[in-house]
Amino acid sequence: MNLNLKLKSPVSTALAIGVGIVVLLGYFFGNDPSGEATTLGLLRAFLLQGAIVWAGVAMLVGIFNLASVHLAKIRANEEASYSFILLITLIITLGIGLYDIVETFTQQEINFQRTSWIFNYIQLPIETSLMAVLAISLTYAAARLLARRLNLISVVFVGVVLMLLIGAMPQVAAQAPILAEIRQWILRVPTLAGARGILLGIALGTIATGVRILTGSDRPYTG
Amino acid sequence: MTISGLIGLAFIIAFSGLIILFTAAKREQPESGLRKIPAFSRLRRAIGLAVEAGSRLHLSIGRGNLTGPESAVAFVGLSALEGMIRSASTGDNPPVATAGDPSLAILTRDTLSSTYRDIGNIEHYDPTTGQLAGFTPFSYAAGTLPIIQDEKTTAHILIGHFGNEVALITDASERNGDLTLTGTDNLPAQAILYATSEEPLIGEEVYASGAYLNAGPMHIASLRAQDIFRWVLIVVIILGVLFKLAGIDQIFTDIFGGLL
Repeated sequence: MNLNLKLKSPVSTALAIGVGIVVLLGYFFGNDPSGEATTLGLLRAFLLQGAIVWAGVAMLVGIFNLASVHLAKIRANEEASYSFILLITLIITLGIGLYDIVETFTQQEINFQRTSWIFNYIQLPIETSLMAVLAISLTYAAARLLARRLNLISVVFVGVVLMLLIGAMPQVAAQAPILAEIRQWILRVPTLAGARGILLGIALGTIATGVRILTGSDRPYTG
Repeated sequence: MTISGLIGLAFIIAFSGLIILFTAAKREQPESGLRKIPAFSRLRRAIGLAVEAGSRLHLSIGRGNLTGPESAVAFVGLSALEGMIRSASTGDNPPVATAGDPSLAILTRDTLSSTYRDIGNIEHYDPTTGQLAGFTPFSYAAGTLPIIQDEKTTAHILIGHFGNEVALITDASERNGDLTLTGTDNLPAQAILYATSEEPLIGEEVYASGAYLNAGPMHIASLRAQDIFRWVLIVVIILGVLFKLAGIDQIFTDIFGGLL
């Protein structure tokens, strides 16, 4: 029986499958009847903690990836101005962050004021502005939906959105309580039922993906 | 171990058994019986056009955390990336992939390099085609926009975990007149993508990407296993409703209540 398993790097594949099975079994047999952690449970916790540490290390690799991609863009002279600004701000932020860390260690007192200032007065306002742009984009998209895809589902989609928005207005709810009740019913019955149906499908898909990785059929890593 | 834990384990074992069984049984005609999903037909056409016209495909696997449940949909995105490279590797502009999580960005580059090596085309692999677009939701969206606005890119496949910020990406894509095929595991983002993208994948359709992009017989087998378990769940839900209506649900609560 050939299952098309990609076992070109048997060591990494065996390691990944082994760790996956231990973590899965640790989830089910991680505690004994008295609630104490079993050896399998402890092993699972150790492996998961290791994964979290590796995810932290990946952050550093990610920064190098970001820098290398934008350096390559500057060299190729494509979108060079944006890449240049990104690299300069990355260096400045990194420098300020390191300065804050050194100061924290030398003064034995937590002091990340400068880094916090960057986040509170530069990053946060920019992201809030993008949130505002997002609100406009969504309104525009709702208006364009019927032009792009005119079918029964789209009409129901737009109709329900309008009904929910109107029903959420306090003045409307006060003058026409039936609209507020319809809104509540829509949220409580069809929306919840639909959401649960979609979530069941997603759960089955997630299990299928997990099984494929556990059997080595999907291998999103090399070794 | 509780009864619910035992049921969960039995569920996973049965699911794995069915997938292996279907993989072994259906190896000869792997694609037979797949229902038509227009989004994947359009994607195949877009891949063909990209190869012919020398344009570029962009795939984004979102910003899910590798240690969380949202990583599953990102792995589906990686399978789709592999399928795309295999189909479009001969084009002038190789596909580009973005991620919003550093661990996923590493896996993206790994998938790119290993697939190019697999198909004996490693000289086409450009390390800068696997990119970390940003660390926060909005910086990820902002980092993806230059790729969307690139004239050479004509189709965007967004398969992964996204939040509301995905509307900025699909909006930019629409203004460029590009094809946008999207699928995610996040419910609010699904609603947004239904309204903003040209070809949205609803619910579990996103997990079928591998099967439709020829990622292997096990993808098709897992689709069949999902179909069977979906029917099992439907029967269980209907039985639960009938028991509740008949007023005999209390018996089950009395029997299993203490064990669950």
